[in-house]
Amino acid sequence: MAETLLDIKNIESFYGPIMAIRGVSLKVEKGQVVTVLGANGAGKSTLLKTISGIMDPEKGQVVFDGREIQGMEPHKVVSQGIVHVPEGREVFPLLTVDENLSLGAYTRSDKAEVEKDRQMVFEYFPILAERRNQEAGTLSGGQQQMLAIGRGLMLRPKIMLLDEPSLGLSPLLVQEIFAILKRLNKDEGVTMMLVEQNAKVALELADVGYVMEVGRIVMDDTADRLMESEDIKSFYLGHQEEGARGERRWKRKKTWR
Amino acid sequence: MNVHTNADQIEINGVIVSATPGQRPALVDGCDTVVGLFQKRCEQLGDRTAHREKDFGIWQSYSWKDYWTHAKWIGLGLRALGLERGEVVSILSEDRKEWLYADMGIQCVGGIASGVYTTDSASQLEYLLRDSGSRFLFVENDEQLDKFLEIEEQADQIEKVIILDPDGLHDLRHEKCVFLDELYDTGKAFDAENHGFFEDEIAKAKPEDTGLLIYTSGTTGAPKGAMLSQENVIAGCVSGAHALPTHDDDEQLCFLPLCHILERNVSAYFPIAGKSTVNFAESTETVFDNLQEVSPAHFTAVPRVWEKVYSRVLVLAQEATPIGRLCFKLAVSAGLKRADYLLDRKPVPIWTKINYAIWDFLVLRNLRRMLGMDKMRRGGTGAAPISPDLIRWYWAIGVQLLEGYGMTENAGIASINLPDDNKIGTVGKAVPGFEVRIAEDGEIQTYGLNNFQGYWRNNEKTVETFTDDGWLRTGDVGKVDEDGFVSITGRLKDIIITAGGKNITPAEIESRLKFSHYISDAVVIGDARKYLSCLIMIDQENVEKFAQDLKVPFSDFASLCAAQEVVDLIKKEVDEVNKEFARVEQIKDFRLINVLLTAEDEELTATMKLKRSFVEKKHAGLIEEMY
Repeated sequence: MAETLLDIKNIESFYGPIMAIRGVSLKVEKGQVVTVLGANGAGKSTLLKTISGIMDPEKGQVVFDGREIQGMEPHKVVSQGIVHVPEGREVFPLLTVDENLSLGAYTRSDKAEVEKDRQMVFEYFPILAERRNQEAGTLSGGQQQMLAIGRGLMLRPKIMLLDEPSLGLSPLLVQEIFAILKRLNKDEGVTMMLVEQNAKVALELADVGYVMEVGRIVMDDTADRLMESEDIKSFYLGHQEEGARGERRWKRKKTWR
Repeated sequence: MNVHTNADQIEINGVIVSATPGQRPALVDGCDTVVGLFQKRCEQLGDRTAHREKDFGIWQSYSWKDYWTHAKWIGLGLRALGLERGEVVSILSEDRKEWLYADMGIQCVGGIASGVYTTDSASQLEYLLRDSGSRFLFVENDEQLDKFLEIEEQADQIEKVIILDPDGLHDLRHEKCVFLDELYDTGKAFDAENHGFFEDEIAKAKPEDTGLLIYTSGTTGAPKGAMLSQENVIAGCVSGAHALPTHDDDEQLCFLPLCHILERNVSAYFPIAGKSTVNFAESTETVFDNLQEVSPAHFTAVPRVWEKVYSRVLVLAQEATPIGRLCFKLAVSAGLKRADYLLDRKPVPIWTKINYAIWDFLVLRNLRRMLGMDKMRRGGTGAAPISPDLIRWYWAIGVQLLEGYGMTENAGIASINLPDDNKIGTVGKAVPGFEVRIAEDGEIQTYGLNNFQGYWRNNEKTVETFTDDGWLRTGDVGKVDEDGFVSITGRLKDIIITAGGKNITPAEIESRLKFSHYISDAVVIGDARKYLSCLIMIDQENVEKFAQDLKVPFSDFASLCAAQEVVDLIKKEVDEVNKEFARVEQIKDFRLINVLLTAEDEELTATMKLKRSFVEKKHAGLIEEMY
C-alpha cells in the first residue's frame, strides 16, 4: 500500500505579493486519507487550489501518479483523476441534482459506467436519489455537501481533495457525512486529502495528519499520534489543561513536538 | 561629546559625573545612589516623557512624574504591607513600564529588586522565591500568577502577590493576591498619613546598600543571586557616560528581558543618568516593527537579533529586481571599502568617501530607514560572541555596531569598543575606571567599583569568586593585547581535556561555528573522549530558506534536520571551521538537535544560549552515537 499517489515538494504559492504557502512538502499514499489541519489563513485551501491547478505555484513540484502536474490547467488536472470538492460546496443551484451529478462525469465517455457510478452515489446518499429532480439550490446545506461529494465521485477519481466538508453543518450531519467518507475510503478505496478545521472528526477519519501554520507545515505524524500530542489537544481538540485556578484564559506555548 | 572639566567632576552631554571613574565617590549629578539620582531626575524632568508603551496599537507617553508617583505608591504600599529595608521583592513580568516602576519603588524604600524570567517554570520560580526569601512578588498576569499558585504551598513565606494586569482575573478571590491598583491605593493612603516618608527613605540610602539581586543563569548548578549595590550601578552609569554617550533627547527601545543585567542597565539605569526616553517593544515578535517605528539613537541587542536583521535584509535583496540586487551589491561593497578604513582607524581616501556618499544617498540611507536604524548613532552587542564579518557588514551599511563585554558580577559593563577606538574580534578596552587583567591560567579578572558585592546568602561562592587581592574572577578565559583590547576565548570551567590529555577551550570552536548563518548555537563535546564532537542547533529560518532554494523537501523541523542536504550543508560549515584549528581541536562528528527549542526548555538560557550541562544530559543518546 506504500505507493505514493501524490507527492508535493516545496510548494510556494503567492496571492500577489503575499506568500501564502512557504515551502510545503507532503505525501499521500494510495488508499490513504490524509488530513491537513490549521487555523484560518494557514494556507490549507491554497494548498488544495495549487494541487488542482486553480493556482500556479511559484516554486516546487506536484507529482501525481509519477507525473509533474504543477501549473497545469485545471481541466487537465481533472482528467488526471484529481477531483476538488471546494469549500462552501459550490453546487450549481439552478440545475437539478441529477444534472449536477452528470456534470461531475462531464469528462467521461463511458455512459454505462457513469450510470453505475450514479447508482453508487445514490446508494451512499439515498437522500439525493429522493431529490434527484429537485433544483440543487433548494437543498439543505448538508444535502448540498453530499451532492458536492457525489458530484466529485462521478469522475471516479484517483484522489479527492475535500475542502472543509464540515463547514456550516450541524454536528449530527458532520458525523453522518464523515461516516460516509469513511465507508467510501474503506469500501471503494477512494484516496482523500482532507482539509479541515474540525480536527476531531478529521483525525478520526484520517490515517496521517499534517498541521499547517502561516504557510508552513509545523508537524506531521500518524493521526493516532497527533491526537495524543499535547499541542494538538489544547489547540485543535479544545482540551483545557488543568490550571492552578478553576478557569484558565491563557494557553500554553506551541512547541509542535 | 560636550566635555567640561572642573576639579574631580566632568560634564558630559549635560550630565556631571566623576572625572576619574573608578575612584570613590562615584557620582552622577552629585548623587551617589541610584535612588537619589532617580528622585533628582523626576524633579528636574517632570512632565517630559520617560517611557512610551503601546496601548491597543497606539504609542502612549508616560512622564517622569508618572514614573515618580507610581514608584512612590508602590514603595509606600509595600512598606505599608510590612516590607523591611534590605528585604528582597521579586518581579515576574515581561518588560513594561510597571516593571521599572516596581524596580525603583522597591529600591527607594530600601528593598532589593529581583527579576524572574517569564520563561522560568513554576519550580524555578519556587527556587528563586525561597532562595531570595521574598515575601512579596509582582506577577504580570494570569499566566504568571498560575505559576505561583502551583507552588503556593512550597513558597509559603510569600505574603502578597501583586498582579499587574487584571485581565481574566475579575473573579479571583485569594487572600494573598492584590491588584496593582489596590497597591497604589494602599501607597496613597500611607503617603497621606506619613508625608515625606518616601523622600526620607531615599535619603537613608547609602552607596553600599544592595539595590538589586540578579540571578545568574546557572549553566552549572543552581542559580546564584548576585548582589549589586547602589554604588555598583552608579559606577556602571559613570563608566557608561564616559564610554557610551547618551543625549537627553535620545530614544531607545527596550525588548530584552529586564531581569538580565544588560537590558536593565541600558533601559533602566542609563536612561535615569542620561535622561533618555525608553520605548517598550510590544513583544519579542514585534521587535523589528517597533524598531522601525521608534528609530532609536542607540540600540543594544544580542548577536542573535543582529543576525536576524542581516538575514532579513539578504532575503529582501534576493527578492528584489536584478537592478535592485546589483545596486544593493555595489552599495554594500562601497560601504565595506569605507568600513575597512574606518575600522583600521585610517583616513578614508577621498574617492572612497565620494563613492560611499553616492551609494549612501541612493541605497544605504533608505535601507537604514527601512530597518529603523536611520537615527542610530551606535548599536551595541554583547552577552554572546558575534561574527566579525557581521560587524563589518553593519559598518558598511552605515551602522556603527560595537561589541562589548560584561557580566552580572561586574554590573554588566567591563569593556567596550568605541566608535573611534574599535578592534573587531575583541570586546574592546576596559571601560573608564575599570581594570582588567589576565591571570596565570588565562582567566580574565576585573577590578573596580563595578565589581559586585557577593552572592546572596552564599559566602562560600562569594569567596571563590574573588581573588585574595580583591579582583573578580570572571570565569572567562581570554587575552589582552598590547593596545589594551580584550578578547575572550572561552569559559574556564568548560575546558575540555580529551582522552589524549589535550586541553581545549570549546567556546573558541563554538563561537566560530556560531558565526555561520546556518548555525544558531553549538556545544562541543569531548571531555575524556578520544576526539571532539559537536551538537548543533541550526538556525531555523536560514536553513529553511536554504532547503527551499535547493528544493529539498521537508515538512516539520525534525524532517528538516534529517534532510541529507542540510546535514551536508552543516558538514561543510563544520569543515570550514575545522580548517582554522589544529588536528586535535577538530570536530570529527556532529549531530543536529532536531527539536526546535524555546526559551522555556531547560536546555536554553533566557537569552537562547545552549546550556552545556543540560544539553549533554538531555541528548546523551545523540552523543553516544558519535563515539
